[in-house]
Amino acid sequence: MALVETQDLVKNYILGGETVRAVDGVSLSIERGEYVAIMGASGSGKSTFMNMIGCLDVPTSGEVRIDGIATQDRDGDELAELRNQKIGFIFQQFNLLARTTALDNVAVPLIYAGLGSEDRRARAKAKLEEMGLGDRLDHSPAKLSGGQQQRVAIARALVTEPVILLADEPTGALDSKTSEDIMEIFESLNDQGITIIVVTHEAEIADHAKRRIEFRDGKIIEDIIVANRRTVAS
Amino acid sequence: MNGNFVKKSAAWVVNVAIAMTALRTNLMRSILTTLGVMIGVFAVTLAVAVGSGAQVSVMQSINALGSNMALIFPQPDTEGGRSTFDRGRLTMRDARAIEKQISGVTDIAPQLRTSIQLVVAGRNASTSAIGATPGYGKVANAAAASGRFISEADVRSAARVVVLGPSVAKKLFGDYDPIGETVRINRAPFNVIGVMESKGSSFGNDNDDIAIMPISTTRQRFAGDSLAGPDDLQMLFVGFEDGVSLPRAKREITRLLRERYRVRGKDINPFTIRTTEEFMKESAQVTGIFQIVLVAIASISLLVGGIGIMNIMLVSVTERTREIGLRMALGAKRSDIRNQFLVEAAVLCVIGGAIGLALAVAAGTALTIYADFPVPIGIGVGIGAILFSAVIGLVFGGYPAIRASRLSPIEALRSE
Repeated sequence: MALVETQDLVKNYILGGETVRAVDGVSLSIERGEYVAIMGASGSGKSTFMNMIGCLDVPTSGEVRIDGIATQDRDGDELAELRNQKIGFIFQQFNLLARTTALDNVAVPLIYAGLGSEDRRARAKAKLEEMGLGDRLDHSPAKLSGGQQQRVAIARALVTEPVILLADEPTGALDSKTSEDIMEIFESLNDQGITIIVVTHEAEIADHAKRRIEFRDGKIIEDIIVANRRTVAS
Repeated sequence: MNGNFVKKSAAWVVNVAIAMTALRTNLMRSILTTLGVMIGVFAVTLAVAVGSGAQVSVMQSINALGSNMALIFPQPDTEGGRSTFDRGRLTMRDARAIEKQISGVTDIAPQLRTSIQLVVAGRNASTSAIGATPGYGKVANAAAASGRFISEADVRSAARVVVLGPSVAKKLFGDYDPIGETVRINRAPFNVIGVMESKGSSFGNDNDDIAIMPISTTRQRFAGDSLAGPDDLQMLFVGFEDGVSLPRAKREITRLLRERYRVRGKDINPFTIRTTEEFMKESAQVTGIFQIVLVAIASISLLVGGIGIMNIMLVSVTERTREIGLRMALGAKRSDIRNQFLVEAAVLCVIGGAIGLALAVAAGTALTIYADFPVPIGIGVGIGAILFSAVIGLVFGGYPAIRASRLSPIEALRSE
């Protein structure tokens, strides 16, 4: 059974009285353990597609199944629970809560998972230590570098032990050296068995993935295995 | 079940922590917003307290009159019926009959009342005089602070003696001790035998501006002409033992006096009976209305404060749309988002309410000390004020919180 499966996925927007078809009948399946890069120009529909498989946006028609669970006809609270348990999100702008320590930022998803304060702290601390930020637990985002902030965000995405990591332009706000560090983390996470889906328009980032899917005008125009994959070893 | 409860209470604790962070972030704004609630709670709490203070002070002045008694006037009771009397009736014989035949009577205080002019060494004062018997002291909680009160012997001999109220004594004698001195009352010399204890004032009425003399003296010298009979009274206080039912005593006295005057059926009584209990009930009603009006006016400021809360919570929701989107992406349910903003509004209001309450307690204490007006703020009022503040937060924070919880996660996340 595929981990992420879409069937004839369609998303329409109404812009200035005209209907724009952002995603146009996409059927796709991603298996457990894959590392997928979704590419495409701005407006190609890749982000809209990503938001739908992340259960943040609701399709106009078609189906999305996450880990075997059909998402249509589920209400907002059920989708929230699904996101909390199955999906970790990483954003271009990190989206950390300002004036909140790294530890508390990482613990946020655990609040909604219903964990007690002791458990939240312990698990958030463990994830930050895995990300090499054990000495930055009480720092607020303003006191952290861009790379450190994105590592806090990765810790937050992983703290509920999700099966999928969804990253939307994860290196878009980082310099190339730091970007490489983040890619290194992704690679090791994937080695540990976490399924990763990255939306990017940068070829160098996409080259780290095992599979590359290209969007244009709301459709998949290319879906290939990356031939010369860039890895830490290479 | 139990685990679910722990989970829920933990979520509320987290929400308070989130609220405190958010409120600190916009400290100045939080302070200004909470100021509205603070002033509102201050005004309402003080209004409640001033209202109860008025009640307390009315009760005190009724108690000063004498705690458990009936007042009988020779005035036809005006309610309905047909009158066979051209004037009211009440005599010393009636008074004695009441004392003998009604159960639970401790003392009676028959009275005549008149206006007098007192003169001493070029100073003069006009006041109202009560012609009384020794019973007056017991029934009306009146006693001589210095010297003595009127005695049976004074009454029997219609002695020219007078007991002065403190205000009258002060006016005529200043700080000089008047006991044993002679004052002229309507040209006749009277011996001052005592000065009354002060009873303060109620509603601008000086209870100490009074002179008391034997009822027989008053009858002979001042009131004889205005009375129809030689035995007539102008007022009768009847004191009762503690625990006597005043409404029942009133019914018994009414029956007795109706028999004595042969009043039948629906005919009007030639007398009126009031009890301290009735006075208290009526006063409680009046001060109750006074309190409601006061609180209603003060509530307007609380309403304005609540609108301020709603306004700032709407701003807060708009500013933090992205945060809301993020929390939703990370698994927050609608109820989580709603509760977060509700708690924030409630915390804001409770802080304002607590400060407002503290200010009201301070103002109430100052009023009690400097204006001699009791302003009691009890624990109940305090707890009520805090709970009410929380309710204001939940009511006025409700709409912004629900609005926040209905945002679509992706649109909230995309907002700048």
